[in-house]
Amino acid sequence: MNTTLNTNGEVKPNLHVKLGNVEFKNPVLVASGTFGYGAEAKQFCDIEGLGGVVTKSVSWKPRMGNSPRRIVETASGMLNSIGLANVGVDTFVKEKLPYLAKFDTKIIANIAASSMEEYRDVLEKIEANAVPNLAGYEINISCPNVKDGGLSFGTNVERTEELTTLLRASTDRLLIIKLTPNVTSVAPFAQACERAGADAISLINTLVGMSIDIYTHEPRLNTVTGGLSGPAIKPIALAQVYQARKACSLPIIGIGGIVSAEDAIEFFIAGATMVQVGTANFVYPDAGVRVAAGLEKYLQQQKIAEVTELVNTLRVKAELKAAGW
Amino acid sequence: MTSSSVPSVVTQRRILAPGLVTLRFRNPNVAHNTIAGQFVNILPKAGFSDPMLRRPFSVYWTQGDEAEIIIQEHGRGTGILANTREGEILDVLGPLGRPWMFDSADYMTAVLLIGGVGVASMPLLTRKFELDEVPLHTFYGARTSSLIARDHLANVHIATDDGSEGFHGSNVMLLRSYLESGKLESPKIFACGPTGMMRAAQSLAAEFSIPCEVSLETEMACGIGICQGCPVRTEESVFAVTGRRYRLACTDGPSFKAEEIVL
Repeated sequence: MNTTLNTNGEVKPNLHVKLGNVEFKNPVLVASGTFGYGAEAKQFCDIEGLGGVVTKSVSWKPRMGNSPRRIVETASGMLNSIGLANVGVDTFVKEKLPYLAKFDTKIIANIAASSMEEYRDVLEKIEANAVPNLAGYEINISCPNVKDGGLSFGTNVERTEELTTLLRASTDRLLIIKLTPNVTSVAPFAQACERAGADAISLINTLVGMSIDIYTHEPRLNTVTGGLSGPAIKPIALAQVYQARKACSLPIIGIGGIVSAEDAIEFFIAGATMVQVGTANFVYPDAGVRVAAGLEKYLQQQKIAEVTELVNTLRVKAELKAAGW
Repeated sequence: MTSSSVPSVVTQRRILAPGLVTLRFRNPNVAHNTIAGQFVNILPKAGFSDPMLRRPFSVYWTQGDEAEIIIQEHGRGTGILANTREGEILDVLGPLGRPWMFDSADYMTAVLLIGGVGVASMPLLTRKFELDEVPLHTFYGARTSSLIARDHLANVHIATDDGSEGFHGSNVMLLRSYLESGKLESPKIFACGPTGMMRAAQSLAAEFSIPCEVSLETEMACGIGICQGCPVRTEESVFAVTGRRYRLACTDGPSFKAEEIVL
């Protein structure tokens, strides 16, 4: 990698990361469902300052989404039950993908579906209309908010493996499987993705959560339960990334409550190669760019030349490791 | 060029009534670019994760480089904001959303229908109508006289639930009497208030076949159309034409043609 100097003559840290054969300008992506299809946030965020954009989930047909109420704020987080509202793959390839193609950053198309065939058909439709900066696909098998939204894949190791194998045959681009924390252990899922030829796994999606109005005795969300996100879930996400890191050798994209560069760095240390910034975009639409800038500053301060040097550097005492921690 | 949130110094805090406060803050972008009906999304406490989300507020007034919001305390976030002191910094994103549709050519008299803290989006609208010399009537309903924010309004007809001032009853009933008497020439209703009042405005407008716009206050997270958290259900006729079951209060609104949405 090239070494460049900044204006003070200091070595400018290298933020580039490679996933498969794709090089990203930095390891910070924006998470699916927290950045629309780019156009919505453009006024508030320098999209080209991001490593990439993971799009709002796209399904074969447009989805209207769930009835209100769809969001509830909770302690250091929020519950959502959006219900995969999206424009459908036709509009996605006609309008959304060409729009994002104008930016000097990578695109990862997130796909949600309710059957093996739908996942494959959506992927192949996008593949047939690919733009040069389309880096690959993130497969959402972990949405907890719709009854037909793929969680039946994400909570079943065999189906995860079968789906990954099927989709692997349809693309040479990056194939990333987005895993759910709503399982007993993430390890067998990470291993299933590796066996089936995925390029990476991303985790975690939201945790199933609930909030109740004590005066009406009704759930606050229309769908009773929803997906918990935000800083509240970061410790859980870190632990899951660490467990996945120990379970497989696939690159990991860490997601869950990342607001600052410090948060992101914890994920790199736990074993993530890249991160996604999600709910923070709802507060600061340029949160991803802020994280990338903070990351560069940290590397400079710590005199670390490459961000990749941080990855999987957790120090756990040998006797603890031996005991399975 | 992107415009992210801007630190804005609070220059004035006024208590209008118990639990009702105005905050004036310095933010040239909001002050100069807000059009009546738009809102700002403000963090209760920058740098803290609890509460985490911004709170949306109509821009109540603008003058010079300063803008003002009106806050009704109804939870932790609004409680923190209402207690912001002069000299403290607010983290303000905006202006956001679409303005009131005052340019529609379907009316001669503007009727502002205000319920409670729904007053927040009306002063800038009033200023616009006064500038354009549009005849204007304001029907302001409140629980009681002390909760009325009187600034920057014009030709105000007050209705209070407890009869402490003006008409004893609802502002919609008061407006109905004006409509029945034919005192308002070719009116259009601009309504902002509790859902019940807006539903009543919807049916009143339908009954008298007059245009009506309602400005909604819903839960919001981002305020810029990315979270999809503030859906507004569309009427069947709109759904049939557009295929859209929901619109978003933040970017498609906050004001909507009354006949196009389900309240």
